[in-house]
Amino acid sequence: MCGLAHYFESEGLSTILVGFVREHIEVIRPPRSLFLDFPMGRGMGKPNDPEFQKKVIRAAFELLEASSGPIIDDFPEIIPVKEGRMGYALPPQLVLSVNDIGDVDVILSEVRNEMEALRPDYATAIAARGRTTVGASGLAIEELAPFIVSFLDGEIPKSPRKGIPPIPLLKLVVEDLEAYYTETRTHRDSIDDLELMGEWFWEKTKAGRLLLLLEAVSIASENKVMLQIVEMSLMAPRFWSEGPLPGTSAAGW
Amino acid sequence: MPAVGRHFISNLELTVPTNDSWTEPVPANERRVSIVSTAAVSRRGDKPFSWLAKDSRTFNKTDRDLVMTHVAVEFDRSAWQQDLNTIIPLDRLEEMAADGEIASVADEHYSFMGAADPVTMEKSARAVAAKMKQEGVNTVFLIPI
Repeated sequence: MCGLAHYFESEGLSTILVGFVREHIEVIRPPRSLFLDFPMGRGMGKPNDPEFQKKVIRAAFELLEASSGPIIDDFPEIIPVKEGRMGYALPPQLVLSVNDIGDVDVILSEVRNEMEALRPDYATAIAARGRTTVGASGLAIEELAPFIVSFLDGEIPKSPRKGIPPIPLLKLVVEDLEAYYTETRTHRDSIDDLELMGEWFWEKTKAGRLLLLLEAVSIASENKVMLQIVEMSLMAPRFWSEGPLPGTSAAGW
Repeated sequence: MPAVGRHFISNLELTVPTNDSWTEPVPANERRVSIVSTAAVSRRGDKPFSWLAKDSRTFNKTDRDLVMTHVAVEFDRSAWQQDLNTIIPLDRLEEMAADGEIASVADEHYSFMGAADPVTMEKSARAVAAKMKQEGVNTVFLIPI
């Protein structure tokens, strides 16, 4: 992001940047930057808090009054993160193996039942917010779990979407599945707590267990892209874990 | 910061500019603002971003039905699920325009894939800049994910 500032600025556009990684800002030196000590994914700080959001914007736009730069300012308020990490991270010891898979029909049935139970609250959440972020994959909600389960035998299924290969589609399906759960719960229980939502989805739900089984299949896979999504923590949230996923080198990092 | 994330952030190869860039800002009451997000968001039905995409997507200031196809999962997605303004504050900018804190909000806003090296995005970024200038934008608000 910092690098983009230079392109726009050199085209005659004034830029203001907000950012979470101060050491990158200091090296790349965009013209005007506001450092935010917030969790990543929360650039304006707090959802459904217009005053806080405007405070961030005003602090950023204040930098447009500077007569020279590059200038870096610190937003004075901090949104604390747990143990220095900027997002939820799975406990390193929570790892499943392909031997834990068992009967895939049972797994699918359990996830379907769990999703069905959430459906009325999901509909209420959409009605209240007027939007949903579920649907990046283009698959219907009922198709999400069956598509993921179809990877559990170690074979790569065909992609049902033209132009999107099966593994990139799998990633989008995984994110749709998680969004279905978290959109429902954040609204139903009035929760805004990324750690709690991560812990619930990944450690407590049947859908989370399905994804940990998928991770186990990925580690055991001979397919390079399947391996890459675990090596680079592109599916299960292990980026902020205390160590790499056992069985991988975390070479991507 | 935990080991895995710290190692990645500290070892990321950064392209350092040879010259500092600077465009003199216009007064607040003349600012027409466009957002550039690296959250890899796009309108529902648009082509998803590839994992190291160099290109961009455009959305209108009235669009709210956006989806995210960012490759990384190390950031929180639950905030933008609750409120789009947490990452793309279109409503807040409209309120500030109505209050006279800025002149106006651009019609078009832009998104890139933040996981890709910005050097690979230069051509797309300059094309976006040209579009911005065509619609009278003079101020760009850059927001990562």
